[in-house]
Amino acid sequence: MNDLSFVILLAIALSGVLVWLLIPRHKSSRTASASFHPEAINSLPTARHYGYFPQVRQALSAADSQYLMENAPPQVAKQALRERRAVARRFLKGLHEDFSNLAKLGRMIAAMSPEVSREQETERLILSLKFQILYALVWLRLSTGNLPLQQLEHLTGLVGRLATRMDEAMAKISALSARPLAGGLGA
Amino acid sequence: MNHFQTVLTSLTLGIETVLCVIVFARRVQRALPFFVIYASVLLAHTIGMWIVYQTFGFHALTGYYCYWISLLLNAGARSLAIAELCRYKLRVYQGIWGLVWRLLAGVSMLFLLHAAIDTWGQPNRLAIYSLTLDRDLDVASVAILAALLLVHNYYGLSLEPLQRKIAAGICLICGVDVIGNTILLSLFTGYLFPLFGANRTPLWSTLEPQIVRAKDIWSTIHLFCFMAAMGIWCYALRKPIPARIETPEMLPAEVYRELSPAINLRLSAFNNRLTELLKP
Repeated sequence: MNDLSFVILLAIALSGVLVWLLIPRHKSSRTASASFHPEAINSLPTARHYGYFPQVRQALSAADSQYLMENAPPQVAKQALRERRAVARRFLKGLHEDFSNLAKLGRMIAAMSPEVSREQETERLILSLKFQILYALVWLRLSTGNLPLQQLEHLTGLVGRLATRMDEAMAKISALSARPLAGGLGA
Repeated sequence: MNHFQTVLTSLTLGIETVLCVIVFARRVQRALPFFVIYASVLLAHTIGMWIVYQTFGFHALTGYYCYWISLLLNAGARSLAIAELCRYKLRVYQGIWGLVWRLLAGVSMLFLLHAAIDTWGQPNRLAIYSLTLDRDLDVASVAILAALLLVHNYYGLSLEPLQRKIAAGICLICGVDVIGNTILLSLFTGYLFPLFGANRTPLWSTLEPQIVRAKDIWSTIHLFCFMAAMGIWCYALRKPIPARIETPEMLPAEVYRELSPAINLRLSAFNNRLTELLKP
């Protein structure tokens, strides 16, 4: 890399860092730094998009596609399939949000923990990076019509269990963070 | 030193004095002692160089050595201020800090090693050594501040307003210096290097006006950015600063020990499913 390219790259990177630093953030650090009150636990993200899965599954079902192909005019069937793929993409985006929320929960717990494992944090970082790449690939295949919509069903089943697990996790955090408080009150 | 540069230097001196007064009036040393040292070193550097130039003249060799050596002292003080900035808020998050300080130290060591190797390979001239070292230390500073920002963003923490503005000022100074030093270095080690030889001495007089003009332009840009950075710091210190960062209430250690592996397992299962989706 010659000096000019280095200078240009650096100027761009620096401008980005400066903008990031100088624009005030409205989102306060209190989200993470505040004490873990039950209200804070309740506001933690959850796997919301899973809730829409039955409707999405119906919309993406093979039977529906078959019915459309057999009974609707080709133009309408094609249009409908295109729209179904758009729905699938939006749903995939929702699942991405659910994954991000779970990862965020993990990071919030790490930030509030007096001890953090290097292995666990590295693993989560790698998993998140891997997910971003896989998500991009799946999104691309879905957009180009190379991915059968039914395969999403397996994925959403997983998210469903994930939602349950997150609810359990939040309940556990509430219970554990309330314990010292209760002890303090009892003393 | 021409009239314009004298005015700019006086202005810089004025702003540095104001900064030092504010820093001590706000008792910043209670929270950020190394930043106070850095601000004092900046003021001492300007005053010291002014005295040297007045005593020995602007083009004397003493001024030349003093300038390049004090530049490295500045870089050292700034590095300490950056280290302190990294620790400023993260230290209250014991778990994260325990993990992150090693990462930041590792990044710093890598950049310092690069700076040492880069400087070692340069032609034997104090100006080139200092320029290279200063440029690489500036790059390291920006990289460490960027890493600090990434860590805060990753864990959903935000920088304190004071920390944010001090970091912005340091970033501005370092960034502008890197750009200027890179251009200057490429001139010194490239086009101009053959002219430094003793047998080319007669050519120096013809080149001098161009070099002085280029240096003046660069010096003006540098001083303006430097004053802007100090203006940002003065603005950040307009309000009293808290002596201590509010310590958040930590979760019991068992929460992390129990939940973190479970969350990672779920994330991993999610990735496995996506991988399966991609299989033909």
